[in-house]
Amino acid sequence: MVSSSDRRYTRRDTVLFLLCLGLSLFGLFSPPARGHAVADTLRQTVLFPLVWLQTRAEEGRTSRVRFRQVTTERDSTAYLAQFLPSLRAENERLRQLLRLSRRLNTGYVPAEVLHQPQVMDSRTLLLSAGARDGVSVFSPVVAPEGLIGVVLSVSTKSAVAMSWAHPEFRVSAFTVSGNAFGVVAPSNEGRNGEGALEFRGVPYRDSVPLGTLVLSSGLGGVFPKGVPVGTVIGVVREEAGWERVYRLRPAANPGSASHVLILLGGRSNDLGAAFPSDSLLEAVRLDSIGRLRRADSLAQAVRAARAARRDSVSRASPLQGGGAAQPAQRGTGSPILGGSPAAPAPARDSAQ
Amino acid sequence: MSPNRVSRVQLVMVMLLLLVLQFYLRPRLWDARISPDFLLIALMLFAMRSSPGVAALAGFAVGLIADTLTPARFGAGALAHTLVGYLGSWGRSVFFADNILVNAAFVAVGLWVRDLIVLIASGTDHRQVLTELTLYSPLQALTTAGFALVVLITFQNMFSIRLDT
Repeated sequence: MVSSSDRRYTRRDTVLFLLCLGLSLFGLFSPPARGHAVADTLRQTVLFPLVWLQTRAEEGRTSRVRFRQVTTERDSTAYLAQFLPSLRAENERLRQLLRLSRRLNTGYVPAEVLHQPQVMDSRTLLLSAGARDGVSVFSPVVAPEGLIGVVLSVSTKSAVAMSWAHPEFRVSAFTVSGNAFGVVAPSNEGRNGEGALEFRGVPYRDSVPLGTLVLSSGLGGVFPKGVPVGTVIGVVREEAGWERVYRLRPAANPGSASHVLILLGGRSNDLGAAFPSDSLLEAVRLDSIGRLRRADSLAQAVRAARAARRDSVSRASPLQGGGAAQPAQRGTGSPILGGSPAAPAPARDSAQ
Repeated sequence: MSPNRVSRVQLVMVMLLLLVLQFYLRPRLWDARISPDFLLIALMLFAMRSSPGVAALAGFAVGLIADTLTPARFGAGALAHTLVGYLGSWGRSVFFADNILVNAAFVAVGLWVRDLIVLIASGTDHRQVLTELTLYSPLQALTTAGFALVVLITFQNMFSIRLDT
């Protein structure tokens, strides 16, 4: 508290006021260099603590600003990094598609899958290529992993494809070992919400082991031969005495496909070499071993025949037939490699 | 220690607090042109409770600090603050402002007058003087008066004027 008596107006106040006023005017009208010199001196001596305090405050403020900036940059980087895995996956998928396109011995058109935010999206796919690009109805649609579906309708710039998940989809198929033919259709009993396929019409006597790759057979004129359709993962049901129905894990997922190839013409071509897979390579390896074995048995038969002939000549007896020289069994050659499959009357694509 | 001495010590403490706020808090606030001027609050509160000569001396000291730390024309701040301090003390004796709102208004008017004198003494362009005096100075006067009000309410007992009998 300050008493009002302290504020009495005296001569001392006037002197102080005039002194301060005079000093101020002197500073104001003195040369700037002198003013700067006085200011510098004061800054470095009496006012140094205040300048230091203000410097710390400014640093604090700029640190906050810098921290906010760094935080923003970090957030932006984290946001961008979220898309990195999907970009990598898309890149890898495009590379696979490129590799597939190099291996294909038929014409094709690349297309993007324009997914729609609807439940039934994976049943029919809207593709970004149309009649202008040479796409026609019943053109097969494939992904690097295998069969996706078939073109259902075509407009100038786009096409609608029916994927294997569509209830009306059918494709004639056979196992990679070539011992069983049948028709692949979508399953009504998808597990865990995932789509599944059924390999129907397989003769009861032809058991198909789990893990066997099933390929399109090329019969029916819609799908070319050798496109992977799925892998056998179990038996769905058995019609006692004449048929088994197998469950297949689809080779390609239309729901996640972002880019596909639409095959043009040449549907009679064998595309087996364009889709190498573990099962397929295994089949090729087994087929090679089979060929070696057959060759060995043939050589053995020839040797036996020659020995028999030598014996017969030496005995001067009539020539006896070489019963050991049996021809190779039919139906063991891989259809991919040109072997003729031993199978019952094959079913045909019913998608058309 | 006499009560009068205690109140003076408290007053000095508040002035020091305002000094620290001026150099530590003000740089962290928003736009410097409209953030409160804590030194002027200290000067006005001191001037309204001091004799005109002492108030002029305090104003000169504050102005010297302002001239030293701001790149304006040296002496302009000292002149402006000397006049404001002297007039604040003189005005306090003319208008007996025991009301804290009047005190805050004194602070606002003091800031605007200080800006007017600094701008004129610095030889600032007329257009800029007009902009400063009609836009930024009133805004800064408002924020400064607002904070002065907070100080006056917080330290009400310390800043109450007691008339000696």
